[in-house]
Amino acid sequence: MLRSFFLALPLALSPLIAQADATGGIADGLILPLMADLAGSGAALSTAAEADCSPESSDLQAAFHDALDAWVRVSHLRFGPTETDNRAFSLAFWPDSRSKTPKALSAMIAKENPAVAEPASFDEVSIAAQGYYALEFMLFDPAYTELGNAAYRCALVQAQSAGIADKTAAIHHEWVNSFAAEMRDPATRYRNSEEVTQELFKSLLTGLQMTADMRLGRPLGTFERPRPKRAEAYRSGRSLRHVVLTLESLNDLARALAAQDPDVAGSLEAQFDKTLQRAANLHDPVFAGVADPATRFRVEALQQDVLDLHLMAEQQLGPALGVEAGFNSLDGD
Amino acid sequence: MKSLFLAGTAVAALTLAPAAMAADKAAVLSNYSNIAEAKYADSLATAKVLQTAVEALVASPSAENLTAARTAWLAARVPYQQSEVFRFGNVIVDEWEGKVNAWPLDEGLIDYVDASYGGATDENASAVLNVVANPSFELSGKAIDATDITPELLAETLHEAEGVESNVATGYHAIEFLLWGQDLNGTDHGAGSRSWTDYAAGDDCTGGNCDRRGAYLKAATALLISDLEWITAQWAEGGEARTTLQADEDAGITAMLTGMGSLSYGETAGERMRLGLMLNDPEEEHDCFSDNTHNSHYYDGLGVQNVYIGEYVRVNGEVISGASLSEMVMSVDPALDAEMRVKLSDTMLALGRIKTAAEAGFSYDQMLEAGNAGGETLIMGGVNGLVDQTKSIERIVAALKVDGVAVEGSDSLDNPSAVFE
Repeated sequence: MLRSFFLALPLALSPLIAQADATGGIADGLILPLMADLAGSGAALSTAAEADCSPESSDLQAAFHDALDAWVRVSHLRFGPTETDNRAFSLAFWPDSRSKTPKALSAMIAKENPAVAEPASFDEVSIAAQGYYALEFMLFDPAYTELGNAAYRCALVQAQSAGIADKTAAIHHEWVNSFAAEMRDPATRYRNSEEVTQELFKSLLTGLQMTADMRLGRPLGTFERPRPKRAEAYRSGRSLRHVVLTLESLNDLARALAAQDPDVAGSLEAQFDKTLQRAANLHDPVFAGVADPATRFRVEALQQDVLDLHLMAEQQLGPALGVEAGFNSLDGD
Repeated sequence: MKSLFLAGTAVAALTLAPAAMAADKAAVLSNYSNIAEAKYADSLATAKVLQTAVEALVASPSAENLTAARTAWLAARVPYQQSEVFRFGNVIVDEWEGKVNAWPLDEGLIDYVDASYGGATDENASAVLNVVANPSFELSGKAIDATDITPELLAETLHEAEGVESNVATGYHAIEFLLWGQDLNGTDHGAGSRSWTDYAAGDDCTGGNCDRRGAYLKAATALLISDLEWITAQWAEGGEARTTLQADEDAGITAMLTGMGSLSYGETAGERMRLGLMLNDPEEEHDCFSDNTHNSHYYDGLGVQNVYIGEYVRVNGEVISGASLSEMVMSVDPALDAEMRVKLSDTMLALGRIKTAAEAGFSYDQMLEAGNAGGETLIMGGVNGLVDQTKSIERIVAALKVDGVAVEGSDSLDNPSAVFE
């Protein structure tokens, strides 16, 4: 609970750069295709689960990986359509520091909670039992792939997949039909293009913070007490993959934001390259190496690279854009 | 995991402003510090009332004395929750607050729990350690002698044992658990219902180890008082919290806004309110044993409003008020000041609705029930108000920067060391 992130308020040193066209371009050129992929892979996941709900199904597993890839690529864009009706909360409940997901799933399976029969009623169950991370338990954790009644497990997997399809479709729909326009021509939600730029800049910082603090920091724990079981999506062997996908997506965003300042763009690009190269050389898909002093330092070095990226974005890109870091959902405990 | 990005922000500051406004900043910071000192002094005073009640309960256990201790705990929360707005932004407070208000907790560390609580988890091997029942046990491979339950044992050995944040051995919520016990009503009405006989002597004792439970309660309360004494002193004239804040006026104003925004958005709206609602989980209530969560959220919100308008009503009715952020904003952008005031009032209205409904019998855990549309509307009203006001706080940050006239001062970025000269 002592963790906190103090708001950075860098000075505006340079004249404000005309950013309106650039931010409109980010919404249309960068974000909309990612959201289309999010919705497309969500729909494909539900189709695969309807065709074969068995955890061993290679089609279903492949669809799960595609869908979660698409989510991770947008996981830093936590504003607007992902927040409407709390969609992102129910798609991606992680980290789960109190083990709510296994508890919620065990309770549902034990009671054969009938909410799985109807999308509207499944939408009302605890978010710990919904979304990608709960589905991962059902597909990859041996304690859950065999738990209780097979027909009920199948219905649960299909309900989770259908929920993912519905919510990702809704996110995409809102982006296409209203939100991209609000970013392109700020009027009410955003008062001006600076506020749009700030939103995107905050997303960049949030994504870097999430990567350093959660995706890497949670399994790292402390030297005395490493926590490999806190690695994200380790059951499906995806922990490192999430770091790489996030960094690639953040690199695209940073490049677009810095487009009008070649110096800042160049130094960010170099640091992203260095960080991604280190991740590629790690060859430790679930960060098992955090528990071994001989390999732990390599994960720590990767975390430090991400921290350096955060600092660089905050101290160089923020002033260049003339915006503040503002507040994000990771502020607080 | 804490303060990873502190280094990059320690040098951040607001733009230098003209001399007249600089004078205002000093007055605003002074009033803010006075309010902080008063809130912690009130927290300390009400904690001492709690201590008297706790000692009476342990010395002569009875239903009346348990009720009196619970009443004193509830009163002590009123000033403390209003002080939470000082956490984020003031490093000294943030590093300290885990001692007194850590949450959520795996209460099985402290005392007996219901079978439905479960056992040790992947995250916490000590989730059911039960110190009250065990005078000796092993922790991180070391044998611990807990024959005497002392403030030192709680603070230095048990609190955050094995680096697990939910091993909460001290503070308001540990005391709350010892006074109320687990709330086993789920999302039905009702708080924890620990019997006074959990503190009774001899054959009347229920739950076992009543003497050790009493010792734990007394030790935790004594520790709360010494921790509150310490933080109150930090805000007095010459205290570290006050002098740090006033050493750099722009950084001080930044700290005020940081506290308002972080408590509103990430902490209260996100972690404490929306997440609990979406998990439909009464264990996610901030004051889950006592069912006091409606007040906890309400007074957090009031603390944010206090900072902006520069006013605090003490527990004895005295009003502390003075130069405010509101006046600073009004001088550069009156419309923005009006917007901020309206949003803070709207939030208090929304949090007030939750409090009103809870006090009339629709408790916060009932609001969390899956599919309870009325409860969801009430809680989301509070969340939306807090999220919305954060947007205005960000606008104020920008307004105080750009409208602080010339962007001439750039020491803090060009030459960070100059800031500390």
